Amino acid sequence: MLKKIKLEDAVGTRLAHDLTEIRPGQFKGAAFHKGHTVCNEDLCRLQKMGKNHLYVIDLKDDEIHEDQAAAILADALAGDGIVWRDEPREGKIKLLAGKDGLFGVDTAALAAFNMNDEVMCATLHNHTLVKKGEQVAATRAIPLIMKRTPIERAAAIARQNGNVLSVNSLRKAKVGLVITGNEVYNGLIEDRFGPILTEKIEALGSEVTAVAFAPDDAERIRTAIRSHLDQGCDLLMLSGGMSVDPDDVTRQGIRSAGAAEMHYGAAVLPGAMFLVAYVGNVPLLGVPACGLFHRITVLDLVLPRILTGEKIGKAELAFMGHGGLCKDCEECSYPHCPFGK
Amino acid sequence: MDAFEVLLESSADAHGHLCPGQVVGVRMAMLGCRLIGLNEPRRHDQIKKLIVYVEMDRCTADAVAHVTGVKLGRRSLKFMDYGIMAATFVNLESGKAFRVVSTEEARSLAAAYAPAIAEKHPQQLAAYKRMPDSVLFRVQQVKVKIDDCDLPGPTRFKAPCTRCGQVVRDQREVIEKGQVLCRPCTQETYFSDAREVTWPDMNWVPGKNNNQSKSDGNAEKMSGGDKPRPYFCQ
Repeated sequence: MLKKIKLEDAVGTRLAHDLTEIRPGQFKGAAFHKGHTVCNEDLCRLQKMGKNHLYVIDLKDDEIHEDQAAAILADALAGDGIVWRDEPREGKIKLLAGKDGLFGVDTAALAAFNMNDEVMCATLHNHTLVKKGEQVAATRAIPLIMKRTPIERAAAIARQNGNVLSVNSLRKAKVGLVITGNEVYNGLIEDRFGPILTEKIEALGSEVTAVAFAPDDAERIRTAIRSHLDQGCDLLMLSGGMSVDPDDVTRQGIRSAGAAEMHYGAAVLPGAMFLVAYVGNVPLLGVPACGLFHRITVLDLVLPRILTGEKIGKAELAFMGHGGLCKDCEECSYPHCPFGK
Repeated sequence: MDAFEVLLESSADAHGHLCPGQVVGVRMAMLGCRLIGLNEPRRHDQIKKLIVYVEMDRCTADAVAHVTGVKLGRRSLKFMDYGIMAATFVNLESGKAFRVVSTEEARSLAAAYAPAIAEKHPQQLAAYKRMPDSVLFRVQQVKVKIDDCDLPGPTRFKAPCTRCGQVVRDQREVIEKGQVLCRPCTQETYFSDAREVTWPDMNWVPGKNNNQSKSDGNAEKMSGGDKPRPYFCQ
């Protein structure tokens, strides 16, 4: 518990918390830090700060200080790829990415954690790409002193599935591209898909190891897919032929190549005609033509997740609906915008 | 103890339907029993060590009773009418007791745990299966003093009402001005205007051909073989 003592009795005691001083226009900050032993010289300044009483901490067996609490909470929240230092500032501990990768949040568990009155944790959005050392979350206990049990309960909730917060590395994929469309295949127009997709793939640390061009012919598309798989590609991307035109036969080609699972349509604009399929364990992404015109599309939301090994299925595509509408700003600021959040 | 899904199915069967309260009740009972160290509460060697206090008469109470095997008539099930989704599990042998309280947060979090389900009850049902115990419940270690007159076993206390002669068991009598009274004689009853009646077929005994009326037992009808008589003895 906290004991209130008169300022004149405070000499020799240690401060229970930082004491903030505000001199308008000049200074705002900690005039005295927690743990500082009050001496005679401090009394005048403390009085000027309006302090006539101070708190002294008298911890009972079942009580815990905010700094200890923060460490317990940080330890429970930090899953794979998250690091933190036991250096609380004003009771708060920062959680950092321990490596480059995709930040993941178990949002249900985070909400359950935050339902506890005495604790809080705020994070970046789920599925945010982060660099090693970047702050991804912060946690603290709300009161200065509290019972130990609620903190332990919150920690238990945070540990429930192992990884409330995590950073998952992106694998280095060998990507095979299949550029479809008679117009490109016959040289009527120049392919622009290849360079765009390659840039996105390389930006995430993967490489394009094979490129094939196919006309709007399901059989030729099937052959291109099988050939990429035979060459050891572990991620395939197909461009074009995803819409409802009679010439758009890419989906037939994918199915005949042996796709056991196929999800056509994502709740994202741009990118409604996106496709995710799996041939064995190899993901196959069908990128609709919007990828040519919009800098950022559904592909930018899905690709990092695919590269962490996450299985993207019908539900994952459906849940992208909330926040899945691009505002199509004149100057694109993605990822610092609501798209995909 | 059986697996959760097995218990849930049999509990829903016994209760009459599967509902979120059944999920909470089955899990509450499993947790409570685990906490007091009685993992096979229905087994003969454990059944007499367990007392459960339920604090609501809702679906959850039935599930708790079903999983633990406690029964009102065995005095192992106690109903405390608090209107709280909670139950306390007492190990009579060790004296350990834990009160397991279903959290209100769990209701608020149902959407987070089962976001793909839109309807309220199916969503709660799925979410309560997925939540860890730490989210679904709060637990208090408590002391429960059980009076001798509340324990299972043969009736140890009997007292006749000094006004009507009714024998009152287990010290449920009321002392008024030094007189032992049964509850009905103190007028502190859930019923009123009591008057004794006779009824058709009142000589019926099980297993004998009593020439019982095939009617639906309506008190307006008289039984076949008996002499006509007034419906009610005044």
